[in-house]
Amino acid sequence: MLRRTTVAAAALLAAGALLLSACSGGAAPSPTATAGTPDPDATVAIRLVAEPGNLDIRETAGAALDQILVDNVYQGLVSRTPDQKIVDTLASSHTVSDDDLTYTFVVREGVTFADGQALTPQDVVWSLQQVKDNASYRDSARLANVASIVANGQEVVVTLSAPDRTFLWNLTGRAGLVLKEGDTIDRKTAANGTGPFVLADWKQGDSITLQRNDVYWGEKAKVKEVVLDYVPDTQAALSGALAGEFDVVTGFDATLKDQIEANGDFALVLGKSTDKGTLAMNSTKGPLADKRVRQAIRQAIDKKSIVEALGAGQTLYGPIPELDPGYADLESTAPFDPDAAKKLLADAGAEDITLTLTIPSWYGTTVSQILVSNLNDVGITLKVNQVEFPTWINDVYVNKDYELSFVLHTEARDFENWTNPDYYFTYDNPKVQQLYASYIAATDDDTANGFLKDAAKLVAEDQAADWLYNGASVVAVGTDVTGFPTVNTNERMNLADLAKSK
Amino acid sequence: MIRYALTRGALLLLGLFVASALIFVTLRVLPGDVAQVIAGLNATPEQIAAIRERLGLDAPLPVQYVTWVSGILRGDLGSSLLTGASVSSELVQKGQVTIPLGLMSMTIAILIAMPFGVISAMRRGHRDGTLLSVGAQTLAAVPVVWAGMMLVVVFAVWLGWLPAQGFPRSGWADPSLAFRSLLLPAITIGVIEGAMLMRFVRSATLQATGQDFVRTAAAKGLTRTQALLRHGLPTVGLSIITVLGLQVAGIIVGSVVIEQLFSLPGIGRMLVADVGARDLPKVQGELLVLTGFVLIVGFAVDLVHRTLDPRQREAE
Repeated sequence: MLRRTTVAAAALLAAGALLLSACSGGAAPSPTATAGTPDPDATVAIRLVAEPGNLDIRETAGAALDQILVDNVYQGLVSRTPDQKIVDTLASSHTVSDDDLTYTFVVREGVTFADGQALTPQDVVWSLQQVKDNASYRDSARLANVASIVANGQEVVVTLSAPDRTFLWNLTGRAGLVLKEGDTIDRKTAANGTGPFVLADWKQGDSITLQRNDVYWGEKAKVKEVVLDYVPDTQAALSGALAGEFDVVTGFDATLKDQIEANGDFALVLGKSTDKGTLAMNSTKGPLADKRVRQAIRQAIDKKSIVEALGAGQTLYGPIPELDPGYADLESTAPFDPDAAKKLLADAGAEDITLTLTIPSWYGTTVSQILVSNLNDVGITLKVNQVEFPTWINDVYVNKDYELSFVLHTEARDFENWTNPDYYFTYDNPKVQQLYASYIAATDDDTANGFLKDAAKLVAEDQAADWLYNGASVVAVGTDVTGFPTVNTNERMNLADLAKSK
Repeated sequence: MIRYALTRGALLLLGLFVASALIFVTLRVLPGDVAQVIAGLNATPEQIAAIRERLGLDAPLPVQYVTWVSGILRGDLGSSLLTGASVSSELVQKGQVTIPLGLMSMTIAILIAMPFGVISAMRRGHRDGTLLSVGAQTLAAVPVVWAGMMLVVVFAVWLGWLPAQGFPRSGWADPSLAFRSLLLPAITIGVIEGAMLMRFVRSATLQATGQDFVRTAAAKGLTRTQALLRHGLPTVGLSIITVLGLQVAGIIVGSVVIEQLFSLPGIGRMLVADVGARDLPKVQGELLVLTGFVLIVGFAVDLVHRTLDPRQREAE
């Protein structure tokens, strides 16, 4: 039965979607929103796509975890705003010494954890030290430059061994989260943080419930409860939204805009993101070792048509997206030009080659179909190998056993991967590594970003990989909902301002 | 009869043992492991190794297998490497969705198949009988995904009578809501399975009509319908029990699709997620229980046959 359904499903989904949009006009009208009267007792149901395997914020990788727990449940001394600025959070203020080596944070007073215990400077010291000392903790390496962390009265003083301009940014991520020293909760299934929400319930394979933290130190959350519903299937998400079961649908398919907006209950909101659709090329062997072949592939792919097919996002021609420092338009390094691509392939003696693309199956087929057709136009036969994500991690990420690979890298400011020769990108250019080191050590913004720009340009000129698109955050927001974040929601989803009208 | 049951019981245990080895080996062939999944992108080899060691994945495979089987013999099915939750508690929890869903689909399937199957057999050659069997053929060919979506569009989105997806967070605390959440998925599976089952009922009924004892009963003065209902149907029932037994496995497989489609927190969706996370100790425990369940149903079907069908007892 399985085989039959999958084959027929593809053909019939289209018909179903049409019917769905036709019917949605007949849906019962939902209570009209009165703007400006938020309901403090509201429950907001948010559809999310991917459920984390467990809730261990220290060890378990994945944006699915950052998205829900960072900012909402766990906080650090500093955090990031939607426009990627750094602001004090559990620190009431911070200062940096003139030599950029000593960071002094004044720990905010009157902060309690969800279980009622008070936040102390010692908790901060312990939290940072734990991350630094445990190699298995996420982002442990990001505190590599930290020489010492000490509490001094209400202050915490962090001394670096060398200037590190990414240090404060790193503290806005996993590495900087502050947990309670000696906490006995099982982090895999529970959480005890200082954020505006407390983790009330996790129904595995179904939903996570956050509730307003009534003893929160800052402005209290505007809704009583947020239910994060994990619904992998896009059609189920659409039906659920049209039936009034969700207030917000994240990770939506922008091409279904008309359907979800049909009865006026939702508006599709597109926001910028740091999602980079990365076509990695293994340059260690085969025809891809030749830079001309890699450039030919880049010039053969029509990025504009990919963005059009996805219905959202923008083109990207280098390793750094617009939201991150160091961005520049690098289209000139490989403009779309199939004829030039053919010539490059001829020069490299690589006409009529066959390459295999390894792609995790959850990305669907839109991108790979365009790649197959674009590359076919210049004489490259592309075989698509759809695999489960763990298989991708094992084959591509760990064993580097691949030719071409596609993955959406969502993390902000992750240029460092291009400076790590052991990373699965297989890219090793000492000049890039040097430029990045200069960026890290630079104390002046303009100089620093100049280094980063140069490094990114080199990566693109070396044709180290291709960037198929810079994704957008695609969220359908109920018309009675305000304050839902729009930027980079795949990585962070701060719900502090979320409100729902009566 | 007792000897028969004992032999069959021993075979069942042997089957479970073979299944445990097969499940264990097959899962180990899958590329990737849970430590890599936990560590994710940006992980260093050292980080992966540290997690692997903490989870006990560095032990040799035969040791892992023996540990697992001896756990089972002590009544411990194992637990998740990701959350520490025990397989049995997870199955009990997710079973609250999948078991009622399976029972409801089966009930719907039988309610459709029995009357319509018998009628279409008895009306063979008539226009309504033909219409019924053509209708069943068509229904049985409808893909589950499409059928489910159409039902959702009409009953949830359009009419707003039933939930479009999901299961209440409070579970069966609100029985009516829980029941209504399962209704559309159950109808989706039930109608399609029922249409398939109907063809079995129809052919079993036709076969029964031609049996000597039915003809004899008719010759003794009963009408054809009376003869069939009184003497023919018990034999139809027997073959339907066999088919139903086989369909248990089909419904478990169907739940994998339907729970995804309707976002139901059941066993099928859990299995997909666990395989996707390479949480192998959990997957192998779940698969063994499911296999055991299917084997036990088969065992029960055999015993029921034996009890109900005098011909089999006499043959002994």
